[in-house]
Amino acid sequence: MSATAAGPGVNPFGYSDAVWRRFTEAPRAGLLEGPGTRTGRAATPANRSRLQLQARISGGRIEDARFQAYGCPTAIAVGAWLAERAIGRSLDELAAIGAAEIRQALEIPDTRLHCALLGEDAIKSLVEAASAAK
Amino acid sequence: MIYLDYAATTPLDPAAYEAMQPYLRPGGAHGNPASDHLAGKRAREAVERARAQVAALIGALPAEIVWTSGATESDNLALKGALEFYADRGRHVVTSMVEHKAVLDTCRYLETRGTKVTYLRPGADGRVAPEQVLEALTPGTVLVSLMWVNNETGVIHEVERLAPALRERGVLFHVDAAQAAGKIALDLRTVPVDLLSLSAHKAYGPKGMGALFVRKKPRARLAPQLHGGGHEQGMRSGTLPTHQIVGMGEAFRIAGERLAQEGAALAVLRERLWACLRELPQVFLNGEGAPRVPGILNVSFGGVEGESLRASLPELAGSSGSACSSATGESSYVLRALGRDDELANASLRFSLGRFTTEAEIDQAAEQVVAQVRRLRALAPA
Repeated sequence: MSATAAGPGVNPFGYSDAVWRRFTEAPRAGLLEGPGTRTGRAATPANRSRLQLQARISGGRIEDARFQAYGCPTAIAVGAWLAERAIGRSLDELAAIGAAEIRQALEIPDTRLHCALLGEDAIKSLVEAASAAK
Repeated sequence: MIYLDYAATTPLDPAAYEAMQPYLRPGGAHGNPASDHLAGKRAREAVERARAQVAALIGALPAEIVWTSGATESDNLALKGALEFYADRGRHVVTSMVEHKAVLDTCRYLETRGTKVTYLRPGADGRVAPEQVLEALTPGTVLVSLMWVNNETGVIHEVERLAPALRERGVLFHVDAAQAAGKIALDLRTVPVDLLSLSAHKAYGPKGMGALFVRKKPRARLAPQLHGGGHEQGMRSGTLPTHQIVGMGEAFRIAGERLAQEGAALAVLRERLWACLRELPQVFLNGEGAPRVPGILNVSFGGVEGESLRASLPELAGSSGSACSSATGESSYVLRALGRDDELANASLRFSLGRFTTEAEIDQAAEQVVAQVRRLRALAPA
């Protein structure tokens, strides 16, 4: 590699491509507002990572979803992936997504398992908030 | 890529690169400097010329320069060698919590061999005060080891003030000057340091090359740690790497020539960078209030996570306080020692500027950092 070959999209730190793309582009980052919006929140011990997952639910389906995250690139990628997966699903289908599926989809190594668990906790929190509002 | 990691290592100065070539290729100057034939004599002359060049930069005599493989070896030789030689004087060392690992790990080793070590905590500005050092001395203190310039913050210790006080008390003084040589003026004719470690590659010389200054008057003594031929006045055996030595000599000669002018230029660039970064809320300058070398700027960014901050800047080759970027998986122990909490120490960047840094690079780096800090803060939940 020449000294000037680095450019946008370069991933010199060894993250999986699935994590790297979602971390750098952060699709569906932001806030949802308005009727039918429900919010789930999760954090790791000592608040080192925080994830907020929001969904707008209409007719039992998730019409739109957004996330916000504070944490390492993997935690941010988990948020982006969950928001992307949530759209078009029912709450039951969303609730079925666990840490194992998140890990597999984003190729998360053992040392980053807590990021996948953070995602699972955020889903649980969102599903609870949505169920409570029914 | 924008290279702002000159405190980690520098490229070779092109003149140093050129100066090294004759000693690597066939042509009569490749001899062993210890050989008595013409090829050896040529190599020996080059080694001695370089010795004088390195000595000149720090105000030493050529005979006070002992070649080593780098500052890590110099630190090891200084500490282990002095403690071993002066074993009858005592077994206590005073150092600081912000030393380079080459000193800290050597101290940890010495502790396993029965040496007591006092690790002084710096103030919030990153400096250990001379008074702290003097208060820590005991009748059994053999040596004090304190770096001249901290590699992470660029903070300059008051070596000039501490050295005479230690001399007066008969305590040996070792200074790691890996980040100081060629960056600030050092004159050991007026600063009574006994042992001083130098690195070539922090000052545009080759990697794998360093030196230890060992004072002649009053004479500092060391037990050698490498045996095998009695080179370097018996203090460090091993065939001398002529090309590396010549590269270090030439690099130090150039550093001396350019020191004042280069320092002023780097200070301007560094302030330009800081002026941009400080526009962001919640940024903290590490080492604020203390004198610092011109080329280093260390900043902590509140409200961003350290690993993501580093990963957001793939085109910027700088150094991060992030646990994930360190070999040990800890956040910067230096920033922790000067009172930054773990989260801020993690979210820190060290920008180190050097000879080939341009204003355009500084502007690009500042733009990228500001944009990414804003992006990460916007991503975070309230």
